[in-house]
Amino acid sequence: MRKSTAFSLFTLGNAILLALLLCSGRYGSGEARAMQEASRIVVDRFQLTDLCLFTEARYTRHPSMADLHSAFQDHPMALEHFPSGSLVSPPRFRRDRP
Amino acid sequence: MIALHDVTKSFHSGKANPFTAIRNISLTIAPARLTVLKGPSGSGKTTLLTLIGCMARPTSGRIVLSGNGISGFPGGEEIRELDITSLPERFLAGIRRATFGFIFQHFNLLRGITVLENVMLPAYPTGERHGEIRKRAEELLALFDVARHANSRVDLLSGGETQRVAIARALINRPSVIVADEPTAHLDTDLSREFMEIVGSFKSDGKTVLIASHDPLVCESPRVDTVVEMRDGRILRSGSVP
Amino acid sequence: MNRSVERHRNVLDFALSSLLRRKGKNVSLWVVYTLIVSLIAAIVFYTHALKREAALILQGAPDIVVQKMVAGRHDLVPVGYVEKIAAIRGVRSVRPRLWGYYYDAATGANYTLMASDDPLPGPGAADIGSGVARTLHLTEGDFLPIRATDGTPTLFQVRKVLPYASELASSDLILLSEGDLRALFDFPRGFATDLAVTVGNPAERPTIAAKIAGQFPDSRPILNSEILRTYDSIFDWRGGMMVVMLGVAVLAFVIFAWDKATGLSAEERREIGILKSVGWETGDVLLLKFWEGAAISLAAFLCGTILAYIQVFFLSASLFEPALKGWSVLYPRFKLVPDVDPYQLAVLFFLTVVPYTVATIIPSWRAATVDPDAAMRS
Repeated sequence: MRKSTAFSLFTLGNAILLALLLCSGRYGSGEARAMQEASRIVVDRFQLTDLCLFTEARYTRHPSMADLHSAFQDHPMALEHFPSGSLVSPPRFRRDRP
Repeated sequence: MIALHDVTKSFHSGKANPFTAIRNISLTIAPARLTVLKGPSGSGKTTLLTLIGCMARPTSGRIVLSGNGISGFPGGEEIRELDITSLPERFLAGIRRATFGFIFQHFNLLRGITVLENVMLPAYPTGERHGEIRKRAEELLALFDVARHANSRVDLLSGGETQRVAIARALINRPSVIVADEPTAHLDTDLSREFMEIVGSFKSDGKTVLIASHDPLVCESPRVDTVVEMRDGRILRSGSVP
Repeated sequence: MNRSVERHRNVLDFALSSLLRRKGKNVSLWVVYTLIVSLIAAIVFYTHALKREAALILQGAPDIVVQKMVAGRHDLVPVGYVEKIAAIRGVRSVRPRLWGYYYDAATGANYTLMASDDPLPGPGAADIGSGVARTLHLTEGDFLPIRATDGTPTLFQVRKVLPYASELASSDLILLSEGDLRALFDFPRGFATDLAVTVGNPAERPTIAAKIAGQFPDSRPILNSEILRTYDSIFDWRGGMMVVMLGVAVLAFVIFAWDKATGLSAEERREIGILKSVGWETGDVLLLKFWEGAAISLAAFLCGTILAYIQVFFLSASLFEPALKGWSVLYPRFKLVPDVDPYQLAVLFFLTVVPYTVATIIPSWRAATVDPDAAMRS
């Protein structure tokens, strides 16, 4: 087989695989959708405001409820010492107005 | 037939070290004949080869190709006479590729790829079908008795085998003119004689052959039809060998 | 047309032969590039899908949450505000929310304690999230010890474990009755953590929030839209760890491109000269360099994106878990609903393939324009 043919097939194969993966996401993934729905129900029933992703620091557990300077609670210049703090910044709406 | 009319080629004019390689040369290369350009280095042989082979354009003068062997003109037209002096670059390249085959002094094969691919390379950009190029390449390798090396790396061949691969490569586009620059410079007597025999077969195929050399084995070979002696960019003497 | 395709295929053949000559170097180049692309793509896929997930799940969050501020900090809100806010036209209901954090020294985990009145777990009973159950190895009927503010431990019996499927929202929840929660935390009577306001017409939310802020200058109303927007800025590319990761990737690429762009080796130059002398034109040589660059970058893009997709959506982004989890002991188990933004994918394609291909072509430009007779002369 010519090298260019092999390469073309390899590329085409990958492209098709990628396309299939992208489509399967749209139409498949029943389990993930079921989980999403279950979480929606819980949020609705208990009137929750945040996801449960970052449970290590309290200002990252409820980022939408946090004060602007909760992250700097010891001192305004205090360095971040929780890893999740470097992933979650104070919500933008907080930074726009006091 | 290739006719040169009063051709001059100068380099670096207007710069620090201008020099004229060829001065006012008028020459006719007869078709289906072996013409040898003889002369010491610096005589302008190589420059003349590049001009005839459509690799460069003359500073002044005209070069005209005529006859049946001209191919590579876009549109596949049949041209019987062509003044290549002021042809646009693109057309010139196409004609060069289809009409001329070059054999270099150092063979100039590409390292690291196979013999077969080396031979097929000049035909790649023409858009010809891969299978056809391959078939022709294999036939040429068989013709020169190096077919068993088709899939070997070029580096592993002997001097003589490398030379024959270089010749096969020069023929891949079915040119009507073969141009060789000092082909026997790195060959021993036996291989040089072998080379001249192959040149003889070109002639019988109706191809025009042009060799630049100062090797007596080449210049005084019985197969030579015309010898053109050059020195300092001019022709000293040009004559058919009886 | 056909000739053009054949020409491309022929040149591609030679480009691949050329790359295979230095098989080790080029294969490892491709592997490294693929890994870089897959890391970036995984980050892109993950953050996009998570943001979508948050947007969908949190739609049921309260219309407005009212906090009270003291000296710029979130403080407890007087329950007396409830009546006055309920009296504002357009407000359908106001419900005080009672919640807080509990750090369990034994496991090192942080839990969220919340008062629930719907449904009512009786006194001494608790509903717990499945992450809590997992961390403390509890099932229904087991006992959960919680220390009050004065240090005394109280036992709560687990009535129910919230569904595993809702982990992303409820993993760390411990739901108690209001009385139990107040006793545990010594919550002053008449105060709550914040107020959840339900508004009849969603379009009126901002107006009502403004009225609340006007009536209670020390309050901070938070709109549902603002709650959702919080999640738009997580994993912001300007934030801490993201800057580091992206910076590393960019640096890796610059090193790559620099190596390629700092000129051709003498061998490469010689080869281009030979190609020119056997009939290749400048355009053909540039096409060759194009395919050399495009072959590797295209393969890296496709393989990298596929790897990223599988990692994020089939393996639940397990590679990112350590970064997200940080020091926390509890991390929710969840599967993301696959959602890829085609625009982001297109940008990724463009950034993966174009700079690399250009970096391969440009250095060869000079050499490609050399006169065909150069090989004769050398």
